[in-house]
Amino acid sequence: MKTKRLTLKILFLLIFSDVLETAVHLCFKRSVIPLNSTQINDFQSGFIFLYQAASSPYLWLGLIVAATIFIIWSSVLSKIDLSVAVPIASSSYIFVPIASIIFLHEKVSFLRWVGILFIIAGVIFVSLSSKDGERELAK
Amino acid sequence: MRQGLFLILSLIALTSALDTINQLFLKSAINSVEPPHSANIIKIIGFIFRLICKPRVWLSGIFALMSLSVWLLVLSKADLNFAFSADSMHYLFIAFASSIFLKEKVGMKRWLGTISIVIGIVLVSLT
Repeated sequence: MKTKRLTLKILFLLIFSDVLETAVHLCFKRSVIPLNSTQINDFQSGFIFLYQAASSPYLWLGLIVAATIFIIWSSVLSKIDLSVAVPIASSSYIFVPIASIIFLHEKVSFLRWVGILFIIAGVIFVSLSSKDGERELAK
Repeated sequence: MRQGLFLILSLIALTSALDTINQLFLKSAINSVEPPHSANIIKIIGFIFRLICKPRVWLSGIFALMSLSVWLLVLSKADLNFAFSADSMHYLFIAFASSIFLKEKVGMKRWLGTISIVIGIVLVSLT
C-alpha cells in the first residue's frame, strides 16, 4: 500500500472539511429551532418531529454539505494514513479560539494559549511523521 | 456524583470507540479501492461510486450513526467543556487502532504529536 506524504493541498482539504462540518451543525440546529421538541415522548411524536424538520430547507442543505464532507474525507483518506488524517483534523480546535481572538477580540487565558501551542506542536509532529514514512518507502 | 461521572466517561469512551470503528471500516474500504490518480471531478465521482459499492462503507455509516446517538446522549447529560476534553481520548484510540488493524506505522513522532494534541485539547476545552 502506498502512502503519500501530507501535502499542502491535503492540509487545505482537511481544514476545509472542518469548516464545512461547522456549517452542517449550524444548518441542523437552524432546522430544528422553530420546532417544539419538548413534547417528544413516544415514537409517533418523534416521527412528527422528524417530518417537520425535513420540511425545513436547512436540514437538506445540511445533508448536502454532509455528503460533500464524505467525498472530501474519502479522497483525503485515499492519500494518507488514518493515524495522520485524524490528528491533523484536530486543528479545528485552534481555529475557533484564534478566530475569536482576531474577529471578536476575546481575551484568551494563559492556559488556553498553552493548549493551542500543544495542539500546533502536535499537528507539526504528526505531519513530520508522514514524511518519515515516505522516506522509508523510498529506501 | 462520582457514579454519574463514571457513567458519562464510559459513554464518552463508547462514542469514541464507535467512531473509531467507523473510521477503521471506512479507511479499510478506501484501501481496497483504487484511489483517484488526479483531482479530476469525474475521476473522484467514479472513486466515490466504487467506494459506496463496498458493504464496509455502509457498516461504517451504521457505526457513525451509533456514535452520533451516544454523543447526543452525552451532550444531554454533561457539560460541553468536559465532554469535548474527555472526547480527545478518541485520538489515542485512532492511533492504537490504525497501528493494530490497518498496519499503519505509528512511530515515535506520531505518538508524541498525538499525545501533544490530546493535552492541548484538554487544556483548550477545560480552561
